[in-house]
Amino acid sequence: MSLFLFRRIAGLILTLLAVSVVVFVSMNVLPGDPVLTILGLDSTEDARAALRQQLGLDKPIVGQYFTWIFNALQGDFGISYSYGVPVSDLIRERIPMTLSLAFCGMALTTVLALVLGISAASNHKRPGDWGVMLISQLGIAIPAFWLSMLLVMLFAVKLRWLPPGGFPGWGEPLLALRSLILPSVALALVQSAVLARVTRSSALEVIRLDYVRTARASGFSRHRILWRHVLPNALIPIVTIVGLQFAALVSGTIVIENVFYLPGLGRLIFQSISNRDLFTVQALVMMFALIVVLANFLVDIAYVLIDPRLKGRTT
Amino acid sequence: MIELNNLSVRLGQFAAVRSANLTIRPGDRIGVVGESGCGKSMLALSIMGMVPDGLQVDGALRINGHDMSHAPESDWNRHRARTMAMIFQEPMAALNPLRRIGDTVAEPLIVHERLGKQAARARALALLDEVGIPDPELRLRQYPHELSGGQRQRVLIALALACNPSLLIADEPTTALDANVALRITDLLVRLSRTRNMALLFISHDLAAVARATSDIVVMYGGDIVERGATHQVLHHPVHPYTRGLLAARPQIARGSGKRRRLPTIPGTVPPLADLPAGCRFSGRCPQELPHCASICPQPVATGSGGIVACHQMGAGA
Amino acid sequence: MTRSPLPANLVIGAILVALVIGVALLSTIWTPYDHAALDIAHKFQGASPAHWLGTDQLGRDVVSQLMVAAGNSMVVAVTAVLIGGTIGTALGLLASARGGWVEDLVMRLSDLGFAFPALLFAIMLAAAFGPSLPNVVIAIAFINIPVFARVARASANQIWTREYVFAARAAGLGQFAISRDHVLPNIAAPVIVQATIEFALAILIEAALSYLGLGAQPPAPSWGRMLSEAQTLMYIAPHLAIYPGLAIVTAVLGFGLLGDGLRDISDPRLSRERPA
Repeated sequence: MSLFLFRRIAGLILTLLAVSVVVFVSMNVLPGDPVLTILGLDSTEDARAALRQQLGLDKPIVGQYFTWIFNALQGDFGISYSYGVPVSDLIRERIPMTLSLAFCGMALTTVLALVLGISAASNHKRPGDWGVMLISQLGIAIPAFWLSMLLVMLFAVKLRWLPPGGFPGWGEPLLALRSLILPSVALALVQSAVLARVTRSSALEVIRLDYVRTARASGFSRHRILWRHVLPNALIPIVTIVGLQFAALVSGTIVIENVFYLPGLGRLIFQSISNRDLFTVQALVMMFALIVVLANFLVDIAYVLIDPRLKGRTT
Repeated sequence: MIELNNLSVRLGQFAAVRSANLTIRPGDRIGVVGESGCGKSMLALSIMGMVPDGLQVDGALRINGHDMSHAPESDWNRHRARTMAMIFQEPMAALNPLRRIGDTVAEPLIVHERLGKQAARARALALLDEVGIPDPELRLRQYPHELSGGQRQRVLIALALACNPSLLIADEPTTALDANVALRITDLLVRLSRTRNMALLFISHDLAAVARATSDIVVMYGGDIVERGATHQVLHHPVHPYTRGLLAARPQIARGSGKRRRLPTIPGTVPPLADLPAGCRFSGRCPQELPHCASICPQPVATGSGGIVACHQMGAGA
Repeated sequence: MTRSPLPANLVIGAILVALVIGVALLSTIWTPYDHAALDIAHKFQGASPAHWLGTDQLGRDVVSQLMVAAGNSMVVAVTAVLIGGTIGTALGLLASARGGWVEDLVMRLSDLGFAFPALLFAIMLAAAFGPSLPNVVIAIAFINIPVFARVARASANQIWTREYVFAARAAGLGQFAISRDHVLPNIAAPVIVQATIEFALAILIEAALSYLGLGAQPPAPSWGRMLSEAQTLMYIAPHLAIYPGLAIVTAVLGFGLLGDGLRDISDPRLSRERPA
């Protein structure tokens, strides 16, 4: 088992390194001269040289990469060009916002998806099933930002129950939560569509399996069979999807924060792009990628822990 | 005691089981034989109330006098595992892979008999021992994938016996197992039936196993029960043309001066459900067919040696 | 023996896709108005016989914009998925044919690709190279490579075990020839299904990127950008926020249903009965 863990962790580190290389190369090497991007075409060569030196861009590329990694591991992501403060400060300020949104969104998603998915599976071929299938198809097709706009138009503009965007700060928790409602719902509606379908198909697969028939022959109630026999087994493939869900969660959070003007990391990334603040963008992209890779890694481990059939084959 | 009275299982106008009559008493050991698709599994499922969705069950099914015709699922659940239990053909995937054996076997005891975990585990241990699993304490803690096919089938039998049912239905319990293991399982079922005075409905297309395990036999074809009687009577002196053909088709090892003969077969094949004749299902393939066989359903009549047969040759007007 | 009818999702999907593609093709030769023509005097008009879906904040005809945007969307989706799909499938076939370290390497690389959420990758490229439609195409193509590599490899692995491949190998055919003549045609079905689904995703990503301002730049119309412009005008002209969204949903839903339908008819293994 520890050999298995060791190999997995080694793989994780390798992946993270590879990701960091991709990010670094994409942002620093390929586009040519970052200084040119920052200062624009009509800057003087002197100004560019000065900035280059200031940002440490005159050193060899490989050195720059390692400096970046080394500093990043210590929490130093450089200074934001447009805000003039350390990037890590910017990140620290905005993390609570993003985490809250992600957490609320994910919680809602999971509940919605599991309930819809399981009930669709147990109502296979009847109206309950078709309804869920239809809703989930729509959920996948509707862009999160458009759904957000529709929700805002209904709940904020027309009904005036909820704010159309923005965040009043954590000072007043109730108001803060109120600002999170529409964003979380928008996020959850779109994300749960995929998860509900996967839950449903996974549950359907399991329902057809022989041990469900055995349970039925043992006289257990439908309720017991569904929640104690079907769900635990259906969860296994679902858990693997959760990893992918994190990728969607990250994308969704970025978009939703921008639609609702929530001061989180997603909004920051967008603003940094507009401000040509390359260091910040670089750090943020790396962070998001890190979260996704880590989530997938944890899911992999969890997968083996949950399914006893895999315990013996942990090579 | 379980009674079937004119029981039919249909899909629209097509009948998977047509007008079956059967009585099972405690201690009976009845075999059900016939080729694939003859309705024997469907018959078994109807006794358990587990006929697939969309199929309609007509006629009367009485469990200990209680008519189950329009019984709700909760009624069925009360009877399942406690009055009648069933084991199926393929043991490999029939156990929940996420549960330990002990927990699986203990579950019906906890659900139906409200035993505590400790008591249920102890009973489970005893059951595993009863079905002949060596080293049952170890097996209790193991997962299904750690057991062989034969062992899993034994566990499934233990599970079926947990609440002391009066009837155990075994649907092709040995088909997926190799010959040696199959023999042992068959013997186990017979032993259990004797010691527990439990009825056994043994469904198989393996005539040798049925001969070994049962005292009475039911022969099915195309959804009909075509012949019924004491096992040795039916197997040695079959009456119905289909039974005759079935028994004649058993491969025999040539004896002595090897005069090899061609294996006799029943001409033709079983028609698809939609094309079965309205009268006797066997018409079209029967060597003794009469003109009215295809259109008129033969009624079961006594054979004179204690059995029942459904054939116009034997019935009124023969 | 009755033939089972085509699944509903296949039919509906095909209709929607045909509709969108038809409109896109049509836009290349005709639109009611020049989509970029400004007409400030007639801004914010609602639906009328002159402008079937009204005009936007600069007086531009909404229908014309939607049509040209459809064209852009289709071009982006098709190009990106074709490029990414071809490269990915080739890699998958290679991995499957060679096995061993080649397969490992390809799979590791594709795992790397999966680590990046599509949007994030596109955002990164947009930040690095500046926002533009070609960059969106590149980003989406890149994201598709690992997806197709994985699908192609998994399907190809099954084909390689089939008897006719065995026979071909016994007849002395090389891996390339076998891959091309035997494996490729037989993995076409799952690859096509995947491609259809990726079309749907590509449309969504392009819309999201354009919404964020990282995709199609003005004056090239895009459904996503139309929505972002409409957002600031929500209180004045809500209708502008509805139509582009509907267009996106139609296109994505269409391809999604089509992909699902194709998968349903190509995979006979999927039985739909309820358990006993």
